[in-house]
Amino acid sequence: MALAGGAMNRPSARDLAPGPRFFLFAILSLVLMYFDQKDGWGERIRYGLQAAAYPIQVTIGSPGRLWSASREFFRSRGSLREENETLRLRERELALRTLRLNALEAENMRLRGLDTMSLPLVKKSAVVNVVNADLGRLRQRLVIDAGQGSGLYRTQTLVDTHGLVGQLARVGPWSSEVMLITDPEAAVSVEIVRNGVRSVVVGTGDDNLLDLSLLPATADVQVGDELVTSGLGGVFPAGIPVGTVTESRRDPDELLAYARARPAASLSASRQLLALWFEPTHPSAPSDPRLTETLPAPTVASPVTVAPSATDTPEPAPAATAPAGNAPAPARRPRGGPR
Amino acid sequence: MYTRSRESPLLVWITVLIALVLTLLPLPQWLAIAWPNFVLLAVLYWSTMTPAAGGMLIGFAAGLAVDVLGGAQLGQHAFAFSLLTYLAIKLHLLTRSKPIFEQAIFALLALLIYEATLWAIDGFSNRSTGTWMRWMHIPVGAILWPIVVGLLGRLHSPR
Repeated sequence: MALAGGAMNRPSARDLAPGPRFFLFAILSLVLMYFDQKDGWGERIRYGLQAAAYPIQVTIGSPGRLWSASREFFRSRGSLREENETLRLRERELALRTLRLNALEAENMRLRGLDTMSLPLVKKSAVVNVVNADLGRLRQRLVIDAGQGSGLYRTQTLVDTHGLVGQLARVGPWSSEVMLITDPEAAVSVEIVRNGVRSVVVGTGDDNLLDLSLLPATADVQVGDELVTSGLGGVFPAGIPVGTVTESRRDPDELLAYARARPAASLSASRQLLALWFEPTHPSAPSDPRLTETLPAPTVASPVTVAPSATDTPEPAPAATAPAGNAPAPARRPRGGPR
Repeated sequence: MYTRSRESPLLVWITVLIALVLTLLPLPQWLAIAWPNFVLLAVLYWSTMTPAAGGMLIGFAAGLAVDVLGGAQLGQHAFAFSLLTYLAIKLHLLTRSKPIFEQAIFALLALLIYEATLWAIDGFSNRSTGTWMRWMHIPVGAILWPIVVGLLGRLHSPR
Protein backbone atom coordinates (compact mmCIF):
# COMPACT_ATOMS: atom_id res chain seq x y z
CA MET A 1 0.00 0.00 0.00
CA ALA A 2 1.99 2.87 -1.24
CA LEU A 3 -0.58 5.52 -0.62
CA ALA A 4 -2.16 4.72 2.69
CA GLY A 5 -2.30 7.47 5.29
CA GLY A 6 -0.30 10.66 5.18
CA ALA A 7 -1.47 14.11 4.30
CA MET A 8 -4.34 13.84 1.88
CA ASN A 9 -4.02 15.09 -1.59
CA ARG A 10 -6.21 18.06 -2.36
CA PRO A 11 -8.23 17.20 -5.43
CA SER A 12 -7.76 19.42 -8.42
CA ALA A 13 -10.40 21.85 -9.57
CA ARG A 14 -12.11 19.58 -12.05
CA ASP A 15 -12.81 17.03 -9.36
CA LEU A 16 -14.14 19.43 -6.78
CA ALA A 17 -17.70 18.55 -7.49
CA PRO A 18 -18.06 14.89 -8.33
CA GLY A 19 -21.82 15.12 -7.86
CA PRO A 20 -22.59 17.33 -10.87
CA ARG A 21 -20.04 15.46 -12.95
CA PHE A 22 -21.72 12.18 -12.17
CA PHE A 23 -25.07 13.75 -12.98
CA LEU A 24 -23.74 14.78 -16.36
CA PHE A 25 -22.35 11.37 -17.22
CA ALA A 26 -25.44 9.61 -15.91
CA ILE A 27 -27.68 11.74 -18.13
CA LEU A 28 -25.38 11.08 -21.07
CA SER A 29 -25.57 7.32 -20.46
CA LEU A 30 -29.34 7.41 -20.17
CA VAL A 31 -29.62 9.38 -23.41
CA LEU A 32 -27.40 6.78 -25.11
CA MET A 33 -29.53 3.96 -23.74
CA TYR A 34 -32.69 5.67 -24.93
CA PHE A 35 -31.35 6.14 -28.45
CA ASP A 36 -30.00 2.62 -28.57
CA GLN A 37 -33.49 1.29 -27.88
CA LYS A 38 -34.88 3.28 -30.80
CA ASP A 39 -32.91 1.71 -33.57
CA GLY A 40 -31.71 4.29 -36.11
CA TRP A 41 -29.65 6.66 -33.99
CA GLY A 42 -27.99 4.12 -31.76
CA GLU A 43 -26.79 2.28 -34.84
CA ARG A 44 -25.25 5.44 -36.19
CA ILE A 45 -23.41 6.21 -32.95
CA ARG A 46 -22.32 2.61 -32.74
CA TYR A 47 -21.07 2.71 -36.31
CA GLY A 48 -18.57 5.42 -35.41
CA LEU A 49 -17.61 3.86 -32.10
CA GLN A 50 -17.10 0.49 -33.68
CA ALA A 51 -14.60 1.98 -36.09
CA ALA A 52 -12.69 3.40 -33.15
CA ALA A 53 -12.86 0.10 -31.30
CA TYR A 54 -11.60 -2.03 -34.17
CA PRO A 55 -7.89 -1.91 -33.17
CA ILE A 56 -8.84 -3.12 -29.71
CA GLN A 57 -10.89 -5.93 -31.17
CA VAL A 58 -7.96 -7.03 -33.29
CA THR A 59 -5.70 -6.93 -30.21
CA ILE A 60 -8.17 -8.99 -28.22
CA GLY A 61 -8.36 -11.60 -30.93
CA SER A 62 -4.62 -11.73 -31.57
CA PRO A 63 -3.52 -14.35 -28.97
CA GLY A 64 -5.82 -16.92 -30.52
CA ARG A 65 -4.70 -16.09 -34.03
CA LEU A 66 -1.06 -16.14 -33.01
CA TRP A 67 -1.56 -19.61 -31.55
CA SER A 68 -3.13 -21.03 -34.68
CA ALA A 69 -0.61 -19.27 -36.92
CA SER A 70 2.33 -20.74 -35.02
CA ARG A 71 0.72 -24.17 -35.12
CA GLU A 72 0.34 -23.74 -38.85
CA PHE A 73 4.00 -22.75 -39.13
CA PHE A 74 5.39 -25.73 -37.26
CA ARG A 75 3.43 -28.38 -39.07
CA SER A 76 5.45 -31.16 -40.56
CA ARG A 77 5.86 -31.77 -44.24
CA GLY A 78 4.28 -35.17 -43.90
CA SER A 79 1.05 -33.92 -42.42
CA LEU A 80 0.84 -31.22 -45.06
CA ARG A 81 1.25 -33.77 -47.82
CA GLU A 82 -1.41 -35.92 -46.24
CA GLU A 83 -3.78 -33.01 -46.05
CA ASN A 84 -3.01 -32.13 -49.64
CA GLU A 85 -3.91 -35.66 -50.66
CA THR A 86 -7.26 -35.65 -48.84
CA LEU A 87 -8.08 -32.24 -50.24
CA ARG A 88 -7.36 -33.43 -53.76
CA LEU A 89 -9.61 -36.44 -53.30
CA ARG A 90 -12.33 -34.23 -51.91
CA GLU A 91 -11.98 -31.80 -54.77
CA ARG A 92 -12.48 -34.57 -57.31
CA GLU A 93 -15.49 -35.85 -55.45
CA LEU A 94 -17.00 -32.37 -55.24
CA ALA A 95 -16.39 -31.70 -58.92
CA LEU A 96 -18.30 -34.85 -59.80
CA ARG A 97 -21.12 -33.92 -57.50
CA THR A 98 -21.31 -30.42 -58.94
CA LEU A 99 -21.65 -31.87 -62.40
CA ARG A 100 -24.57 -33.98 -61.28
CA LEU A 101 -26.16 -31.17 -59.31
CA ASN A 102 -26.01 -28.80 -62.26
CA ALA A 103 -27.96 -31.26 -64.36
CA LEU A 104 -30.43 -31.77 -61.52
CA GLU A 105 -30.93 -28.07 -61.03
CA ALA A 106 -31.58 -27.55 -64.71
CA GLU A 107 -34.10 -30.34 -64.69
CA ASN A 108 -35.76 -29.02 -61.57
CA MET A 109 -36.14 -25.57 -63.07
CA ARG A 110 -37.56 -27.01 -66.25
CA LEU A 111 -40.07 -29.10 -64.34
CA ARG A 112 -41.24 -26.04 -62.48
CA GLY A 113 -41.57 -24.10 -65.64
CA LEU A 114 -39.05 -21.43 -64.84
CA ASP A 115 -36.71 -20.08 -67.44
CA THR A 116 -34.38 -18.29 -65.07
CA MET A 117 -32.30 -21.38 -64.60
CA SER A 118 -29.12 -19.90 -65.94
CA LEU A 119 -28.82 -17.54 -62.97
CA PRO A 120 -26.91 -18.97 -60.04
CA LEU A 121 -28.34 -18.25 -56.62
CA VAL A 122 -25.11 -16.91 -55.20
CA LYS A 123 -24.13 -13.87 -57.20
CA LYS A 124 -20.93 -13.15 -55.36
CA SER A 125 -19.06 -14.41 -52.35
CA ALA A 126 -16.14 -13.08 -50.38
CA VAL A 127 -13.83 -14.71 -47.89
CA VAL A 128 -13.72 -12.87 -44.56
CA ASN A 129 -11.44 -13.53 -41.61
CA VAL A 130 -12.56 -13.93 -38.03
CA VAL A 131 -10.64 -11.54 -35.83
CA ASN A 132 -12.43 -12.04 -32.54
CA ALA A 133 -14.90 -14.44 -31.00
CA ASP A 134 -17.33 -13.94 -28.18
CA LEU A 135 -18.81 -17.32 -27.33
CA GLY A 136 -20.58 -16.84 -24.04
CA ARG A 137 -23.87 -18.12 -22.70
CA LEU A 138 -25.64 -14.87 -23.49
CA ARG A 139 -23.89 -13.98 -26.73
CA GLN A 140 -22.49 -16.02 -29.55
CA ARG A 141 -20.84 -13.55 -31.85
CA LEU A 142 -17.85 -13.29 -34.11
CA VAL A 143 -16.10 -10.17 -35.34
CA ILE A 144 -14.89 -10.28 -38.93
CA ASP A 145 -12.40 -8.06 -40.71
CA ALA A 146 -14.72 -6.67 -43.39
CA GLY A 147 -17.44 -4.09 -43.17
CA GLN A 148 -19.34 -1.59 -45.21
CA GLY A 149 -16.16 -0.81 -47.11
CA SER A 150 -16.32 -4.28 -48.63
CA GLY A 151 -19.99 -3.97 -49.46
CA LEU A 152 -21.30 -6.06 -46.59
CA TYR A 153 -24.81 -5.35 -45.42
CA ARG A 154 -26.85 -6.06 -42.32
CA THR A 155 -28.56 -9.49 -42.16
CA GLN A 156 -26.16 -10.84 -44.76
CA THR A 157 -25.78 -14.62 -44.77
CA LEU A 158 -22.45 -16.15 -43.75
CA VAL A 159 -21.50 -19.77 -44.29
CA ASP A 160 -18.44 -21.92 -43.93
CA THR A 161 -17.63 -25.01 -45.95
CA HIS A 162 -20.01 -27.17 -43.92
CA GLY A 163 -23.08 -25.02 -43.49
CA LEU A 164 -24.79 -21.94 -42.18
CA VAL A 165 -22.82 -19.85 -39.69
CA GLY A 166 -25.08 -16.90 -39.08
CA GLN A 167 -25.98 -13.44 -40.24
CA LEU A 168 -24.47 -10.00 -39.83
CA ALA A 169 -25.95 -8.23 -36.85
CA ARG A 170 -23.88 -5.04 -37.08
CA VAL A 171 -21.84 -3.60 -39.87
CA GLY A 172 -19.09 -1.14 -39.09
CA PRO A 173 -16.87 0.72 -41.56
CA TRP A 174 -14.24 -2.02 -41.73
CA SER A 175 -15.43 -4.68 -39.33
CA SER A 176 -18.73 -6.43 -38.69
CA GLU A 177 -20.36 -8.55 -36.07
CA VAL A 178 -21.76 -11.95 -36.96
CA MET A 179 -24.64 -13.32 -34.94
CA LEU A 180 -24.09 -17.06 -34.92
CA ILE A 181 -27.05 -19.39 -35.27
CA THR A 182 -26.31 -20.54 -31.71
CA ASP A 183 -26.78 -17.03 -30.31
CA PRO A 184 -29.71 -17.02 -27.87
CA GLU A 185 -31.32 -14.27 -29.96
CA ALA A 186 -30.95 -16.10 -33.25
CA ALA A 187 -33.73 -18.05 -34.93
CA VAL A 188 -33.57 -19.80 -38.28
CA SER A 189 -36.53 -21.33 -40.07
CA VAL A 190 -35.52 -24.82 -41.16
CA GLU A 191 -36.97 -27.92 -42.65
CA ILE A 192 -36.05 -31.55 -42.34
CA VAL A 193 -34.58 -32.85 -45.58
CA ARG A 194 -36.09 -36.31 -45.16
CA ASN A 195 -39.73 -35.27 -44.99
CA GLY A 196 -40.02 -31.50 -45.34
CA VAL A 197 -41.30 -30.91 -41.81
CA ARG A 198 -40.72 -27.26 -40.96
CA SER A 199 -39.56 -25.84 -37.70
CA VAL A 200 -37.59 -22.99 -36.19
CA VAL A 201 -34.12 -23.53 -34.80
CA VAL A 202 -33.09 -21.23 -31.98
CA GLY A 203 -29.68 -20.77 -30.41
CA THR A 204 -28.89 -22.03 -26.95
CA GLY A 205 -25.75 -20.07 -26.09
CA ASP A 206 -23.73 -23.25 -26.52
CA ASP A 207 -21.78 -23.26 -29.78
CA ASN A 208 -22.46 -26.96 -30.28
CA LEU A 209 -26.16 -27.09 -29.62
CA LEU A 210 -29.32 -25.89 -31.33
CA ASP A 211 -32.87 -26.13 -30.08
CA LEU A 212 -35.76 -27.08 -32.34
CA SER A 213 -38.60 -25.06 -30.98
CA LEU A 214 -42.25 -25.01 -32.01
CA LEU A 215 -42.24 -28.61 -33.14
CA PRO A 216 -45.57 -30.32 -32.47
CA ALA A 217 -45.39 -33.53 -30.48
CA THR A 218 -46.78 -35.42 -33.45
CA ALA A 219 -44.02 -34.23 -35.79
CA ASP A 220 -41.81 -36.84 -37.37
CA VAL A 221 -38.29 -36.09 -36.18
CA GLN A 222 -35.57 -38.68 -35.79
CA VAL A 223 -32.03 -38.59 -34.58
CA GLY A 224 -29.77 -38.08 -37.57
CA ASP A 225 -32.21 -35.99 -39.57
CA GLU A 226 -30.52 -33.30 -41.63
CA LEU A 227 -31.82 -29.75 -41.28
CA VAL A 228 -31.60 -27.15 -44.02
CA THR A 229 -32.87 -23.60 -44.16
CA SER A 230 -36.40 -23.46 -45.48
CA GLY A 231 -36.20 -19.90 -46.78
CA LEU A 232 -39.40 -18.97 -45.01
CA GLY A 233 -38.02 -16.29 -42.73
CA GLY A 234 -36.95 -14.16 -45.66
CA VAL A 235 -33.44 -13.79 -44.28
CA PHE A 236 -31.67 -16.93 -45.40
CA PRO A 237 -32.16 -18.57 -48.79
CA ALA A 238 -33.52 -22.08 -48.89
CA GLY A 239 -31.35 -25.15 -48.85
CA ILE A 240 -28.30 -24.25 -46.76
CA PRO A 241 -27.34 -27.03 -44.31
CA VAL A 242 -27.96 -25.99 -40.72
CA GLY A 243 -27.35 -29.08 -38.63
CA THR A 244 -28.14 -32.63 -37.67
CA VAL A 245 -30.69 -33.73 -35.09
CA THR A 246 -28.88 -35.33 -32.17
CA GLU A 247 -31.69 -35.81 -29.72
CA SER A 248 -35.43 -36.22 -30.09
CA ARG A 249 -37.79 -36.99 -27.26
CA ARG A 250 -41.54 -37.03 -27.07
CA ASP A 251 -43.55 -36.71 -23.93
CA PRO A 252 -47.23 -37.61 -24.43
CA ASP A 253 -48.24 -34.94 -21.92
CA GLU A 254 -46.44 -32.16 -23.72
CA LEU A 255 -47.76 -30.23 -26.69
CA LEU A 256 -44.34 -29.79 -28.23
CA ALA A 257 -41.65 -32.28 -29.06
CA TYR A 258 -38.20 -31.86 -27.58
CA ALA A 259 -35.47 -31.97 -30.16
CA ARG A 260 -31.92 -30.72 -30.32
CA ALA A 261 -29.42 -30.50 -33.11
CA ARG A 262 -25.73 -30.02 -33.69
CA PRO A 263 -24.73 -27.21 -36.09
CA ALA A 264 -23.29 -28.33 -39.39
CA ALA A 265 -20.75 -25.51 -39.51
CA SER A 266 -17.81 -25.57 -37.14
CA LEU A 267 -18.80 -22.37 -35.43
CA SER A 268 -16.05 -21.96 -32.86
CA ALA A 269 -13.20 -23.29 -35.00
CA SER A 270 -13.68 -21.47 -38.30
CA ARG A 271 -11.14 -18.77 -38.92
CA GLN A 272 -12.48 -17.95 -42.37
CA LEU A 273 -16.06 -17.54 -43.46
CA LEU A 274 -17.82 -16.88 -46.73
CA ALA A 275 -20.08 -13.87 -47.04
CA LEU A 276 -22.74 -14.37 -49.70
CA TRP A 277 -24.56 -12.02 -52.04
CA PHE A 278 -27.62 -13.43 -53.72
CA GLU A 279 -29.11 -12.97 -57.13
CA PRO A 280 -32.29 -11.12 -56.19
CA THR A 281 -34.32 -12.55 -59.07
CA HIS A 282 -33.53 -16.13 -58.17
CA PRO A 283 -36.58 -17.93 -56.78
CA SER A 284 -34.63 -19.21 -53.78
CA ALA A 285 -33.11 -15.85 -52.84
CA PRO A 286 -34.10 -14.21 -49.56
CA SER A 287 -37.36 -12.54 -50.31
CA ASP A 288 -37.43 -9.52 -48.04
CA PRO A 289 -36.97 -6.54 -50.36
CA ARG A 290 -34.88 -4.72 -47.77
CA LEU A 291 -32.41 -7.58 -47.76
CA THR A 292 -31.76 -7.78 -51.45
CA GLU A 293 -30.95 -4.21 -52.28
CA THR A 294 -32.30 -3.89 -55.80
CA LEU A 295 -35.15 -6.31 -55.92
CA PRO A 296 -37.65 -5.66 -58.71
CA ALA A 297 -41.20 -6.93 -58.48
CA PRO A 298 -41.11 -10.46 -57.12
CA THR A 299 -41.01 -13.09 -59.82
CA VAL A 300 -42.61 -15.71 -57.65
CA ALA A 301 -45.31 -15.48 -55.06
CA SER A 302 -43.87 -14.10 -51.86
CA PRO A 303 -43.44 -16.79 -49.23
CA VAL A 304 -46.33 -17.43 -46.91
CA THR A 305 -45.32 -17.52 -43.29
CA VAL A 306 -46.67 -20.89 -42.41
CA ALA A 307 -47.46 -21.53 -38.79
CA PRO A 308 -45.51 -24.52 -37.55
CA SER A 309 -48.72 -26.36 -36.79
CA ALA A 310 -49.31 -26.64 -40.51
CA THR A 311 -46.62 -29.25 -40.77
CA ASP A 312 -48.93 -32.14 -40.01
CA THR A 313 -49.14 -32.96 -43.68
CA PRO A 314 -45.51 -32.99 -44.67
CA GLU A 315 -44.93 -32.43 -48.33
CA PRO A 316 -41.85 -34.00 -49.82
CA ALA A 317 -40.01 -30.77 -50.55
CA PRO A 318 -36.50 -31.17 -51.89
CA ALA A 319 -33.71 -29.23 -50.30
CA ALA A 320 -33.36 -26.33 -52.68
CA THR A 321 -36.90 -25.47 -53.61
CA ALA A 322 -38.32 -22.03 -53.66
CA PRO A 323 -40.40 -21.18 -50.64
CA ALA A 324 -44.03 -21.69 -51.59
CA GLY A 325 -43.57 -21.35 -55.32
CA ASN A 326 -46.49 -20.55 -57.55
CA ALA A 327 -45.93 -23.58 -59.74
CA PRO A 328 -48.40 -26.38 -59.24
CA ALA A 329 -47.31 -29.89 -58.40
CA PRO A 330 -44.50 -30.83 -60.74
CA ALA A 331 -45.80 -32.85 -63.63
CA ARG A 332 -43.87 -35.99 -64.35
CA ARG A 333 -43.44 -35.20 -67.98
CA PRO A 334 -40.01 -35.34 -69.47
CA ARG A 335 -40.12 -31.99 -71.22
CA GLY A 336 -41.74 -28.66 -70.53
CA GLY A 337 -43.43 -28.06 -67.22
CA PRO A 338 -46.85 -26.46 -66.81
CA ARG A 339 -46.88 -22.88 -67.98
CA MET B 1 5.42 9.27 2.09
CA TYR B 2 4.11 9.74 -1.38
CA THR B 3 0.87 11.65 -1.43
CA ARG B 4 0.75 13.96 -4.43
CA SER B 5 -1.07 12.63 -7.46
CA ARG B 6 1.77 13.16 -9.86
CA GLU B 7 0.70 10.32 -12.15
CA SER B 8 0.36 11.31 -15.72
CA PRO B 9 -3.13 10.65 -17.06
CA LEU B 10 -1.37 8.79 -19.84
CA LEU B 11 -0.32 6.05 -17.43
CA VAL B 12 -3.90 5.75 -16.22
CA TRP B 13 -5.33 5.50 -19.72
CA ILE B 14 -2.77 2.92 -20.81
CA THR B 15 -3.32 0.67 -17.81
CA VAL B 16 -7.08 0.88 -18.26
CA LEU B 17 -6.71 0.02 -21.94
CA ILE B 18 -4.57 -3.02 -21.14
CA ALA B 19 -7.09 -4.08 -18.50
CA LEU B 20 -9.85 -3.68 -21.09
CA VAL B 21 -8.09 -6.04 -23.49
CA LEU B 22 -7.47 -8.53 -20.67
CA THR B 23 -11.12 -8.41 -19.66
CA LEU B 24 -12.48 -9.10 -23.10
CA LEU B 25 -10.07 -11.87 -24.13
CA PRO B 26 -11.98 -14.77 -25.62
CA LEU B 27 -11.72 -17.62 -23.14
CA PRO B 28 -12.95 -21.17 -22.74
CA GLN B 29 -16.24 -21.37 -20.90
CA TRP B 30 -14.88 -22.77 -17.61
CA LEU B 31 -12.30 -20.01 -17.34
CA ALA B 32 -14.65 -17.24 -18.46
CA ILE B 33 -16.91 -17.84 -15.44
CA ALA B 34 -14.19 -17.00 -12.94
CA TRP B 35 -12.47 -14.36 -15.08
CA PRO B 36 -12.23 -11.11 -13.13
CA ASN B 37 -13.35 -7.82 -14.61
CA PHE B 38 -9.89 -6.28 -14.87
CA VAL B 39 -10.99 -3.02 -16.38
CA LEU B 40 -13.40 -2.47 -13.52
CA LEU B 41 -10.68 -3.15 -10.97
CA ALA B 42 -8.29 -0.79 -12.74
CA VAL B 43 -10.85 2.01 -12.88
CA LEU B 44 -11.72 1.41 -9.24
CA TYR B 45 -8.07 1.55 -8.27
CA TRP B 46 -7.33 4.80 -10.09
CA SER B 47 -10.42 6.58 -8.88
CA THR B 48 -9.72 5.52 -5.31
CA MET B 49 -5.99 6.23 -5.20
CA THR B 50 -5.68 9.21 -7.51
CA PRO B 51 -9.09 10.70 -8.16
CA ALA B 52 -7.49 13.63 -9.95
CA ALA B 53 -5.67 11.51 -12.51
CA GLY B 54 -8.43 8.97 -12.90
CA GLY B 55 -11.60 10.92 -12.74
CA MET B 56 -15.06 10.14 -13.91
CA LEU B 57 -14.27 10.64 -17.57
CA ILE B 58 -12.12 7.54 -17.70
CA GLY B 59 -14.83 5.54 -15.98
CA PHE B 60 -17.39 6.68 -18.51
CA ALA B 61 -15.03 6.04 -21.43
CA ALA B 62 -14.13 2.56 -20.19
CA GLY B 63 -17.80 1.74 -19.73
CA LEU B 64 -18.64 2.95 -23.20
CA ALA B 65 -15.79 0.86 -24.62
CA VAL B 66 -17.16 -2.21 -22.86
CA ASP B 67 -20.59 -1.42 -24.30
CA VAL B 68 -19.30 -1.20 -27.84
CA LEU B 69 -16.88 -4.12 -27.67
CA GLY B 70 -19.17 -6.38 -25.69
CA GLY B 71 -22.21 -5.54 -27.78
CA ALA B 72 -24.30 -4.51 -24.80
CA GLN B 73 -26.95 -1.85 -24.83
CA LEU B 74 -25.15 1.41 -25.54
CA GLY B 75 -24.73 3.37 -22.31
CA GLN B 76 -25.44 0.51 -19.94
CA HIS B 77 -21.90 -0.16 -18.76
CA ALA B 78 -21.10 3.52 -19.18
CA PHE B 79 -23.75 4.29 -16.57
CA ALA B 80 -22.59 1.58 -14.17
CA PHE B 81 -18.96 2.63 -14.55
CA SER B 82 -19.82 6.29 -13.93
CA LEU B 83 -21.74 5.34 -10.82
CA LEU B 84 -18.86 3.23 -9.54
CA THR B 85 -16.32 5.97 -10.24
CA TYR B 86 -18.52 8.52 -8.52
CA LEU B 87 -18.81 6.39 -5.38
CA ALA B 88 -15.10 5.62 -5.39
CA ILE B 89 -14.15 9.30 -5.71
CA LYS B 90 -16.70 10.34 -3.13
CA LEU B 91 -15.43 7.80 -0.62
CA HIS B 92 -11.76 7.70 -1.52
CA LEU B 93 -10.64 9.45 1.64
CA LEU B 94 -12.45 6.85 3.68
CA THR B 95 -11.40 3.76 1.78
CA ARG B 96 -7.83 4.29 0.72
CA SER B 97 -6.45 4.75 4.20
CA LYS B 98 -7.89 1.43 5.35
CA PRO B 99 -5.84 -1.76 5.58
CA ILE B 100 -5.78 -3.82 2.46
CA PHE B 101 -8.28 -6.43 3.60
CA GLU B 102 -10.89 -3.86 4.50
CA GLN B 103 -10.25 -2.32 1.11
CA ALA B 104 -10.98 -5.67 -0.47
CA ILE B 105 -14.35 -5.66 1.28
CA PHE B 106 -15.05 -2.17 -0.08
CA ALA B 107 -14.07 -3.47 -3.51
CA LEU B 108 -16.50 -6.36 -3.08
CA LEU B 109 -19.31 -3.95 -2.28
CA ALA B 110 -18.39 -1.72 -5.21
CA LEU B 111 -18.39 -4.64 -7.64
CA LEU B 112 -21.70 -5.78 -6.23
CA ILE B 113 -23.25 -2.35 -6.79
CA TYR B 114 -21.85 -2.33 -10.30
CA GLU B 115 -23.23 -5.72 -11.26
CA ALA B 116 -26.56 -5.02 -9.57
CA THR B 117 -26.88 -1.83 -11.64
CA LEU B 118 -26.27 -3.75 -14.84
CA TRP B 119 -28.69 -6.42 -13.74
CA ALA B 120 -31.38 -3.84 -13.02
CA ILE B 121 -30.88 -2.13 -16.39
CA ASP B 122 -31.11 -5.52 -18.12
CA GLY B 123 -34.33 -6.16 -16.27
CA PHE B 124 -35.86 -2.77 -17.04
CA SER B 125 -35.09 -3.04 -20.74
CA ASN B 126 -36.56 -6.54 -21.00
CA ARG B 127 -33.32 -8.27 -21.73
CA SER B 128 -32.11 -11.55 -20.36
CA THR B 129 -30.78 -11.02 -16.85
CA GLY B 130 -28.40 -13.92 -17.14
CA THR B 131 -27.63 -16.65 -14.67
CA TRP B 132 -25.69 -16.84 -11.42
CA MET B 133 -22.52 -16.92 -13.49
CA ARG B 134 -22.58 -13.18 -14.09
CA TRP B 135 -22.02 -12.59 -10.36
CA MET B 136 -18.98 -14.82 -10.15
CA HIS B 137 -16.47 -12.16 -11.10
CA ILE B 138 -17.29 -10.22 -7.91
CA PRO B 139 -15.64 -12.47 -5.28
CA VAL B 140 -12.77 -13.15 -7.69
CA GLY B 141 -12.23 -9.43 -8.13
CA ALA B 142 -12.30 -8.81 -4.39
CA ILE B 143 -9.76 -11.57 -3.79
CA LEU B 144 -7.54 -10.10 -6.50
CA TRP B 145 -7.78 -6.57 -5.11
CA PRO B 146 -4.52 -6.76 -3.06
CA ILE B 147 -2.68 -7.94 -6.17
CA VAL B 148 -4.16 -5.10 -8.23
CA VAL B 149 -3.07 -2.61 -5.59
CA GLY B 150 0.39 -4.16 -5.48
CA LEU B 151 0.84 -4.10 -9.25
CA LEU B 152 -0.60 -0.71 -10.06
CA GLY B 153 0.93 0.81 -6.91
CA ARG B 154 4.33 -0.20 -8.18
CA LEU B 155 3.71 1.67 -11.42
CA HIS B 156 3.32 5.08 -9.86
CA SER B 157 5.15 5.02 -6.56
CA PRO B 158 8.18 7.29 -6.31
CA ARG B 159 11.58 5.85 -7.03
